[in-house]
Amino acid sequence: MANDDGPALELVGLTKAFNGTRAADGVSLAVPRGALLGLVGPNGAGKTTSISMAVGLLRPDAGTARVLGVDMWSDPVGAKRLLGVLPDGLSLPERLTGGELLTHWGGLRGLERGLVRERAGELLRVLELEEADDRGVLIAEYSTGMRKKIGLATALLHAPRVLVLDEPYEAVDPVSARVLTAILRRFTDGGGTVVVSSHVMALVEGLADRVAIIARGRVLADGTLDGVRGPDATLEDTFVRLVGAREVGEDELAWLSS
Amino acid sequence: MAVVLIRLKLALMRHSFTGMRVLGLVLALLGAALTWYLAVSSPGPRVRSDLLPLVFAVWAAAWALGPTVANGAGTLRSQYFALLPMDRRRTGALLLVTAFVDLGPALTLVASAALVWHGASLSAGAALVAVPAALLLWVSLISLSRLVFRALGAAMHSRLGMEIASVQWGLFLALIFFGWMAVQPALAATLELRDRGLGEGPTGALLAALPTSWPVHAVDAAGAGAWGSALGWLAATALTSLVLASVTAVLLAPRVTARGVRRRGRPPGARPLSRPARAVLPGTPLGAVVGKELRQWWRDPWRGLEVRASLWAGLFIGLLAWSSDTFSFFAPFAGVICAFIMVLATANMYGHDGTALWLTAVGQGPGTARADVRGRQIAIALLSAPGALALSVLFIVLTGEHWAWPYVLTGLAAVFGAGSGLSLLFSVVALSPGVDPQLRVDANDSGDNQVQVWLSLLSLPVLASPAVLAAVFLGLAGAPWAAVPVGVANGLLGALWLGRIAHRRLDGRLPETFTRIRYGKAVALQAVPEAGSLLDRLERTAISGNEETRPQGS
Repeated sequence: MANDDGPALELVGLTKAFNGTRAADGVSLAVPRGALLGLVGPNGAGKTTSISMAVGLLRPDAGTARVLGVDMWSDPVGAKRLLGVLPDGLSLPERLTGGELLTHWGGLRGLERGLVRERAGELLRVLELEEADDRGVLIAEYSTGMRKKIGLATALLHAPRVLVLDEPYEAVDPVSARVLTAILRRFTDGGGTVVVSSHVMALVEGLADRVAIIARGRVLADGTLDGVRGPDATLEDTFVRLVGAREVGEDELAWLSS
Repeated sequence: MAVVLIRLKLALMRHSFTGMRVLGLVLALLGAALTWYLAVSSPGPRVRSDLLPLVFAVWAAAWALGPTVANGAGTLRSQYFALLPMDRRRTGALLLVTAFVDLGPALTLVASAALVWHGASLSAGAALVAVPAALLLWVSLISLSRLVFRALGAAMHSRLGMEIASVQWGLFLALIFFGWMAVQPALAATLELRDRGLGEGPTGALLAALPTSWPVHAVDAAGAGAWGSALGWLAATALTSLVLASVTAVLLAPRVTARGVRRRGRPPGARPLSRPARAVLPGTPLGAVVGKELRQWWRDPWRGLEVRASLWAGLFIGLLAWSSDTFSFFAPFAGVICAFIMVLATANMYGHDGTALWLTAVGQGPGTARADVRGRQIAIALLSAPGALALSVLFIVLTGEHWAWPYVLTGLAAVFGAGSGLSLLFSVVALSPGVDPQLRVDANDSGDNQVQVWLSLLSLPVLASPAVLAAVFLGLAGAPWAAVPVGVANGLLGALWLGRIAHRRLDGRLPETFTRIRYGKAVALQAVPEAGSLLDRLERTAISGNEETRPQGS
């Protein structure tokens, strides 16, 4: 069962190699309770691989993850009960409507039917998916942003204590993004913990109180926003300093401005 | 531009040289060799002008069905080029041009050239006519292939189209399983074919009317000196090629409409959350899975195709058997055959769902995997049993063979039960992902399942053998009705036992199962021990044996 102290989510030396290439190489992180952590890194840094191992979608070659002290890989059922997950770019049962998906999902999770109906209705309303549900729009017909939102609803439905969201803001319109931010804030205010991956620095800077920078499968920095940023003016500067950036030279791509 | 696309196609092909392609090439090679053998060895021009129409008709049928049946996601998918600043029709036309560049089409050209040999044996003028005729025939054959492939894909976007595709598939399945019943008398005649040709008769007349025979008529007319008629047939051939090629180019153009927009109104059974219906299914994980599966089966065209094709195949097999004298006793078993095909069609359920398995993986509770497997078994039984039963009743009543009742009921119970366990076991252990559901376009985007099909063909008869033996011996003993409870017990045990192996395996290997879908062959193989249990070995066989039709974009 979940313990009362210690970090909400802990990644311990998570390692995974695909065809000889290490996508994650000893990724360790500790996210304190009530924190909203932004996980940032360039494309192909190993963010999604690390997240997948932390939430039980990908078995690590080495290392483990703990959710409120419950080990994901020795007690998966216990850990998954505490966890809400939004993966990036995966399928859903495409021929269900939003309401049907949430009803199914609540039932599969073993939630009581009346409770599922109440929460699902509220989630659809808050996430502005209610009208699509009334019209019977199938998930296959949803836009990318709507898919993100219904995915978020599945992550929230069973009232988890830790949320892990992979690129939740991608393709979401500004109005919905504000709603999403408000939801996450309410969640952390109530003692919940959130991990959000993104490669938009400004977004993470405005949202998160903690940041972890990951590149080439390793954690380069981890701590409070101010601690990680240090003397740099913006998080982006820190990111560039740690990850390295390729500058575009004067004579390169000159034809673009001709 | 065409050259650029052809280079791209060749580059893509170099990275995906698969067993299925080799098989296709071998068949094309044999076909070309057989075509020339028949052309060269036939005793004279008259027999040859009888045989070539038959040969070309077979080529057309092979090209029309082959690519769809061969489970390929298509090398150059038209959606790759949707953003090119080029007219969509022109993109389609260019894509059609690339279809001609491959070894299969090259061998087909070689086979078509047999027409020139035929012409040369008649006269120099006939040979001259044969050259454009052979080329036009070639264009028609290859265009037809792309046309059928894309038409099936386009059909998947409307309910009627899906139904038409199901009829085609059903007919195709019926023919490969039981076509020999109809062909057998014809087969006996084939032995004399090479020496005498088809002669007079309805088959010859029908063949002569097919557009694939028109180029032969043109050459024959030229050989006879009837130039007007030769040019007429040639013009008709040219027109056919032109129409086929233009329609295909239009179909190959990238789609710019959204998926599923043709549906009007609410999908069947969907009610908004705000106005719920009275719940029929229990509010348990099992009830949730059954509800989800029934909706998906009903609404997903790719799943609908599987169910409908099995029903149509059963119907066609029944009709084939009924219409033949020798095998008409078999017609009452159409429903049992339908149930059998249904098992083959449902042996890749998790591959069908693609990465949507993440929901089960992250929502894993103590009984989630069990509910998921059992719920699918129940949904499949609810969906397919009424159809198979109706087919059985239909054919027993039509043929009046009422002795068949106990045998058919025994067979249905055993095949449905054992088959439901078997298909779920294969769905878990031998799953083979296709193009991820939200990216599907073509009719065979839902994953290759040849390993499952072959293994089911072998193991389902074994699993149903207690019921079959009981039916045979109790039937001989004059008590066929006593076999029905044996069939029911056989089915129930099979469903429970194999389903149990399936859900235990899934429960223990949810992340590995998801990895298979998400990360593809190479990574999946890392996760299965090399010298493991029987199930591990089965899993390795399926991973290496099935073609990878993973998402390549769309």
